[in-house]
Amino acid sequence: MIDRDARPLLELSQTSKRYGGVRALEGVDFACSAGSIHAILGENGAGKSTLIKIVSGVVQPDSGSMRLDGQDVRFSNPAAANAAGVVCVFQELSLMPDLSVADNISIAGPPTRMGLIDARAQRRRAEELLASIGCEDVNPLLRVRDLPLSRRQMVEIAKALGKRPRLLILDEATSALTNADVTVIYEVLKRLREDGLSILYISHRMHEIEALADRASVFRNGRHIETFPMGARSHGEIVELMIGREISAQYPTRVTRPRPAPLLEVRKLSWENRLRDVDLSLGMGEIVGLGGLDGQGQKELLLALFGVLKGVSGDMLIDGKPALPSSPVDAKGPGRRIALIPEDRKTEGLMLPMSIAENLCSASLDALSSGPFIDPGKQDVAVAEAIRQLQIKIGSPADPVATLSGGNQQKVVIAKWLMTKPRIILLNDPTRGIDVGTKQEIYGLLRVLADAGAAILFYSTDYDELIGCCDRVAVMYDGAIRVELEGDAITEQALIASALNIDTASTPALEHAS
Amino acid sequence: MSAALEKPARFALGPDDKPIVIASAFIILLLVIGTAYTLVTAGTMTLLSPNYLLQQLQIGAFLGIVAAGMMLVILIGHIDLSVAWTLAASAMMATTVGGPWAIPTGLAVGLAVGLVNGLGVAYLRVPSMIFTLAVNAVMRGLMVAHTGGFAPQTAATDLMRFLAAGRVGGIPMAIFVWVGVSIVIAVVLKRTVFGRTIYAIGNREAAAYLAGMRTRGVIVAAFAACGMLAGLAGVLLAGYSTKAYQGMGDAYVLPAIAAVVIGGANILGGSGRYAGTVVGVVLIVLLNSVLSIMQMPEAGRQIIYGAVIITMLLAYRSGRVHQG
Repeated sequence: MIDRDARPLLELSQTSKRYGGVRALEGVDFACSAGSIHAILGENGAGKSTLIKIVSGVVQPDSGSMRLDGQDVRFSNPAAANAAGVVCVFQELSLMPDLSVADNISIAGPPTRMGLIDARAQRRRAEELLASIGCEDVNPLLRVRDLPLSRRQMVEIAKALGKRPRLLILDEATSALTNADVTVIYEVLKRLREDGLSILYISHRMHEIEALADRASVFRNGRHIETFPMGARSHGEIVELMIGREISAQYPTRVTRPRPAPLLEVRKLSWENRLRDVDLSLGMGEIVGLGGLDGQGQKELLLALFGVLKGVSGDMLIDGKPALPSSPVDAKGPGRRIALIPEDRKTEGLMLPMSIAENLCSASLDALSSGPFIDPGKQDVAVAEAIRQLQIKIGSPADPVATLSGGNQQKVVIAKWLMTKPRIILLNDPTRGIDVGTKQEIYGLLRVLADAGAAILFYSTDYDELIGCCDRVAVMYDGAIRVELEGDAITEQALIASALNIDTASTPALEHAS
Repeated sequence: MSAALEKPARFALGPDDKPIVIASAFIILLLVIGTAYTLVTAGTMTLLSPNYLLQQLQIGAFLGIVAAGMMLVILIGHIDLSVAWTLAASAMMATTVGGPWAIPTGLAVGLAVGLVNGLGVAYLRVPSMIFTLAVNAVMRGLMVAHTGGFAPQTAATDLMRFLAAGRVGGIPMAIFVWVGVSIVIAVVLKRTVFGRTIYAIGNREAAAYLAGMRTRGVIVAAFAACGMLAGLAGVLLAGYSTKAYQGMGDAYVLPAIAAVVIGGANILGGSGRYAGTVVGVVLIVLLNSVLSIMQMPEAGRQIIYGAVIITMLLAYRSGRVHQG
């Protein structure tokens, strides 16, 4: 079966794609054959999602060609790709929550009778498709909104199969499934492979890939590095391929020091099923990194500590006293003095059309006013001080913050929070999409703040950053902290291995239950 | 450097000032056209007489007070469609209670309706367009039940009449009330934490919330202020007409929204100066008056009125840089 790859079903040659100045995919040659399950591996930003977006018609490549079954194709939209038999199950669910399961499964081409949707045929079709993936228990007439996440993901897969794909792409499509579902899905996927389908399988669960895939391709920095038959490479070798570069030193030197007494302690923090019993402590003067692949609960942890999430269970202590905030107002208040640099500066960090000065003051207005009135004198002094401290390059503080470059906008977000004199600083990927120079300024600033006594919790998708900046790194996987690395143990190898929840030291044995 | 040179060379107008300038120019144009008309037909310059202008401002005061509250709600990115029957309910309850408690009762009714609106929008997260429309219907039903569907027999108190129709030093009292309200609103928007938070919410509620601003409280307060100002307008209007009547607020909802938008506020919230709303109110009142002086039939008046609003908005939009 593995030797059937003489005839590739899908072939990409010299495919490139840029987003602005960022090279997402560069000269990629890639092929996958009919009747195989092909895993795609790579760390965050390696180009995996760009690749599948091109194949499924979501984005157009800047250059390069694509052949399906030997014929040149170019998909201008996902519908064209579907028509050619290329169907993708995306990570973000594409179901409409207020429509029924049956409506969703047939959304693109419902069966009709005399021009009207044939509800009975549609329901029968949904029942058949759901039965084929072992989901007889899902009532096709239920609204998708009322299904648990794992059932929704199964409906999503049924919907994809309903389009009769020749090439099926699963992008982290099993991340929310229960173990029982995964077993069923494995059987379904193996059966589809026998039927001659080609399946591209993207997952960060190494043991799933080992159990399923025939071949694997590693991507790194937008390039296709290597394709090999599964089993030909050890875990350690795969991780090497995913890293494959020298770490450049551009970080403030790290001094090993005794671990300080904890300022912030988190015990058994849980929220829905996104955070599971998170334990973490943070001392004065410490920079602690949060690692792991995107979407393992890092963002939720930061939001929970900042009082944004409702229904968080577990304890959070500051100076040994219970301090779980109930809102951001609470979190930044005098007892806690927590700051959060949010993930998306354009929608969460800034009011773009408002002035630089107004944005800078927005978190510390209480301190800048007497009674209900903002004190213009105090405001001007504070704004000037913040601009000086962070060396924000601006024309006038009255200009809209939207006129600044990305790096300077991010400095405004950070400065706005430093004006509240926080003791605990939470950062959610603060250097994403900003220039190298500003990045280095931010690294330096974090160390200065820590030395001045702040406790810093810092989520980053960039492993270099975690290695270069942090005293400790807590790696998250599936809503829990799996590993804590300290000092010299923070290596890219260790970070990736724990992010993928694999153990590079041992032989590729499968001892993972989760 | 080039940016620094460019700025003083041009007559520098902020993006919020441009609509105010255009609307003011249009007001002057209206006065010129109207005066030309009266000169030709009657040989007088009625429109430029102080008495006529004061009278327009007096009529404008009622709309201006409603629009001031509406502006707070529009700035946070919402809308209040309940002002019509909030105004009427306040007027009716004020005249029903009568005596020294008439005015406090009217204001309290407006405040209460505004609080309900604010709580519904901020906590129940119902879209304001639907919630306030429903509240408007409820208020209307309550008032029909209260009066039996007829004009209330009770009359406005002397104080209400004095505030709405009295004159001090030849200037109508209603104008003083409007000026007072305007000063408070302008200061609140420009100088207070509350005002700053209003603009922040209108620009990006999520960012304001994550900056630790009290977003929900401010939303409730903005609706409450809008309701109370509608109540104040109702009390004054009842004083002006000597009594309350069914549907007395119906003619104020759309003009109030139009005045705010003509004044340059973004209908989606986040930007706009209070001075613009004042100019917008004057423009609308004057436009109505000039059209009626010119004895334009009702149909034509409606068409011109609508066309002017659309034209003004298109004029503002040209040249405004879109910021995503």
